[in-house]
Amino acid sequence: MAGAIIENMSTKKLVIVGVILLLFQVLSFLVGGLFAPSPTTAIHYVATKCVDVRKHNQQSKWFMPWGPHQCEKIRDFSEAMAMRIQANDIVFAVHIPLPNKEMSPWFQFMLVILQFDIAFNLNNQIAEDGAMVTIDVGLAYRDDILSEWTEIAHSRELRKLSCNFTAPKKPENEGRHYDCDLMPFLELGSVAHKYYLVNIRLPVNERKRVNVGIGEIKDIQLVGIHQNGGFTKVWFAMKTFLTPSILIIMVWYWRRITLMTRPPVLLEKMIFALGISMTFINIPVEWFSVGFNWTWMLLFGDIRQGIFYTMLLSFWIIFCGEHMMDQAERNRFAVYWKQVGPIVFGSFCLFIFDMCERGVQLKNPFYSIWASDVGTELAMAFIIVAGICACLYFLFLCFMVFQVFRNISGKRSSLPAMSRARRLHYEGLIFRFKFLMLVTLACAAMTVIFFIISQVNEGHWHWDEHTVQVNSAFFTGIYGMWNLYVFAIMFLYAPSHKRYGDEQSNGDLGVNSGEDMQLTTTVTHADGPTEIYKMARKEAQE
Amino acid sequence: MIYLGCFLFLCGLTHVTASYPIWWSLAVGHQYSSLGTQPILCGSIPGLVPKQLRFCRNYVEIMPSVAEGVKLGIQECQHQFRGRRWNCTTVNDNLAIFGPVLDKGECVRIVPVVSAATRESAFVHAIASAGVAFAVTRSCAEGSATICGCDTRHKGPPGDGWKWGGCSEDVEFGSMVSREFADARENRPDARSAMNRHNNEAGRTSINDHMHLKCKCHGLSGSCEVKTCWWSQPDFRVIGDYLKDKYDSASEMVVEKHRESRGWVETLRPRYAYFKPPTERDLVYYESSPNFCEPNSDTGSFGTRDRICNLTSHGIDGCDLLCCGRGHNTRTERRKEKCHCIFHWCCYVSCQECVRIYDVHTCK
Repeated sequence: MAGAIIENMSTKKLVIVGVILLLFQVLSFLVGGLFAPSPTTAIHYVATKCVDVRKHNQQSKWFMPWGPHQCEKIRDFSEAMAMRIQANDIVFAVHIPLPNKEMSPWFQFMLVILQFDIAFNLNNQIAEDGAMVTIDVGLAYRDDILSEWTEIAHSRELRKLSCNFTAPKKPENEGRHYDCDLMPFLELGSVAHKYYLVNIRLPVNERKRVNVGIGEIKDIQLVGIHQNGGFTKVWFAMKTFLTPSILIIMVWYWRRITLMTRPPVLLEKMIFALGISMTFINIPVEWFSVGFNWTWMLLFGDIRQGIFYTMLLSFWIIFCGEHMMDQAERNRFAVYWKQVGPIVFGSFCLFIFDMCERGVQLKNPFYSIWASDVGTELAMAFIIVAGICACLYFLFLCFMVFQVFRNISGKRSSLPAMSRARRLHYEGLIFRFKFLMLVTLACAAMTVIFFIISQVNEGHWHWDEHTVQVNSAFFTGIYGMWNLYVFAIMFLYAPSHKRYGDEQSNGDLGVNSGEDMQLTTTVTHADGPTEIYKMARKEAQE
Repeated sequence: MIYLGCFLFLCGLTHVTASYPIWWSLAVGHQYSSLGTQPILCGSIPGLVPKQLRFCRNYVEIMPSVAEGVKLGIQECQHQFRGRRWNCTTVNDNLAIFGPVLDKGECVRIVPVVSAATRESAFVHAIASAGVAFAVTRSCAEGSATICGCDTRHKGPPGDGWKWGGCSEDVEFGSMVSREFADARENRPDARSAMNRHNNEAGRTSINDHMHLKCKCHGLSGSCEVKTCWWSQPDFRVIGDYLKDKYDSASEMVVEKHRESRGWVETLRPRYAYFKPPTERDLVYYESSPNFCEPNSDTGSFGTRDRICNLTSHGIDGCDLLCCGRGHNTRTERRKEKCHCIFHWCCYVSCQECVRIYDVHTCK
């Protein structure tokens, strides 16, 4: 066999494969854009201010903002002032979702954001030096309207108030609201129950300086974000379809490799690993989240994605390295430690960060690494290190690509002087490299372009009566694209069984006898055949 | 606590067809204070036209927030016009005086500044309809009304649309309620109705224009790979500021009569052709305002006598302008005040008592 399938394929067949892949690509965009709803929904809640009046008669300790058994409410705090209600007896209650609706396991996750409405008061300003709010929060669930609430979590959390007041601090601006940053509040990795209830208190303790200097809090607003059920279904369907496709091509690919007489080379192993990590992402284990209350699914999804990205980035490095076309002997993973190291280290940093955030949230859903100063610094450190690693990686990658192109242009000039077999080999290498380079660049560019569109755009476009969900199209399209990318690589870069002679009218029979040209560039220079070259039994033809 | 809005013209039901919305009285007096504790009796709200009555009966659960919205508008109006000759609070009497009047059903004319088609009236209509839209949207977010949200608009069995594609924003809903309810009485073919419709719409548009988009990134490791955005309502003060600007730049119109098949129809046309015509965001009026210096029951002016003015200010709240050149009296007052207060969230203030001496200037 000489090289990969891609080299031995006729242009016509290649175009056909390309068109088929393109069709699937368009399909994956359309599925997201036309069929799926927008990926997530944000719902805005304003907390109801309940008064804890059960002094000694112990009823339910949960406060409902509306519906049967709703709490005693106050409209604003001037009423509370008149009624001499203590701060500890005021409970902000939010029922998720709004009336007449229920949550569903298809929502996959739920994260809630906290925002305070704080009015400016000349005599009661927010402390300048980083005011902290202490919130006493409880989260409960129930699965039918009449049953009792069951507690999920209860915690006392600190959140940093970062508010600024743009208007001049003068008496006439009293009552105007501060502009406060959003605060992370709660993150649930699964939505297994129908109704959730959040109760928030702002306990005051002057001696311990708890909730002193937090300004005149008027209201608490929450924003609940969850994935749309329709999007989840489309996503699952896509995964369920893609898993066998990638799995089949993977098995086929590995069979091809094992059929060969030589052991697989590094690049072939790498492609196979890429296939495995893609399948790992694809396997729709999320189906289980519909039936089971697996809160770690969110973290697991992050890990799977992380592994795939690491694999993809490493693959590019190794692919470049193996097409270097210089004399160096590579074909060992250890050679690439310098380039792959930053990727692995960067991903590891992000993994630690994710464990610190989402990992801890498995225990305490109210936890946020961003809430404390130390946590924020730590998180920033992880992210900065990961960013530096990413920069390093891209420098290496660009440098390697540059080297390859330099070598290619060097080889070009000497090509006509080479023997036919050698020329074909190099031409194959160059074509292989350029093809992957082109496809990769196209995919990366598509990803970036769609990412920018989805960020800039409001989320959907209208054409007559049709609404195109740009964000959903982005997710399904890009996901489909990388699947097709992996699919195409495994298919096109699998070792070919064809001989040169089959394609060419004046086949060099001598070459045909020398099989098993590998997917590697470690072949040499005209004067000194290497080990592998010998293994390929090519020297006879030289 | 409750100021009786300048424009509250509570003459019983004899003036139902008058050009100012009597139902605004919902926002004051015992009607408002009983909100939340007692169900609203739609029949007891003065001045509802049949369409409004129907709306009230169908959607009685959102009526408290409608009232809340009007109150919000009045408070904002009073804030924006504090210290001006017309300060949106021409009657400072409290409920005790006002209550019996209402109970006896006597017709005491308290102020119809709003009954004239003036700038002030334009502002009040705009801010009240904005207030209603604002408060209804808010109460939807509180969950106190069950008719808000997507289920009423999406097709299919209830709950299905929500589970498939979430909810559309409730912002539209607030505006819709305000439009249905506040504009219900403005369907006559006269100039006043046209003006009120325009100004109500301007108020609602101001809410939609000031919504701001907030976003949260929650992708892999919190990256912006996945980003969710939502519209959030502004602080109502921002709406007040904006409508106050619109009040200052309101367009004066003239009334034109056309003969149409259903009879005479009045429309509005800009008075000055060389000014830019008003957009849907601008306030319009067609009668000039009185100067509000002297009390005049016809124009609804209460005069500025006995109003407190600011001696050092050269603006409209200064003694020269506010007192319309009549001069002012000065008296010295000793006041016991709370000072060195420490505020505890939410409802407790510990203060010392200080005595301060003030010079109080009031208009002659």
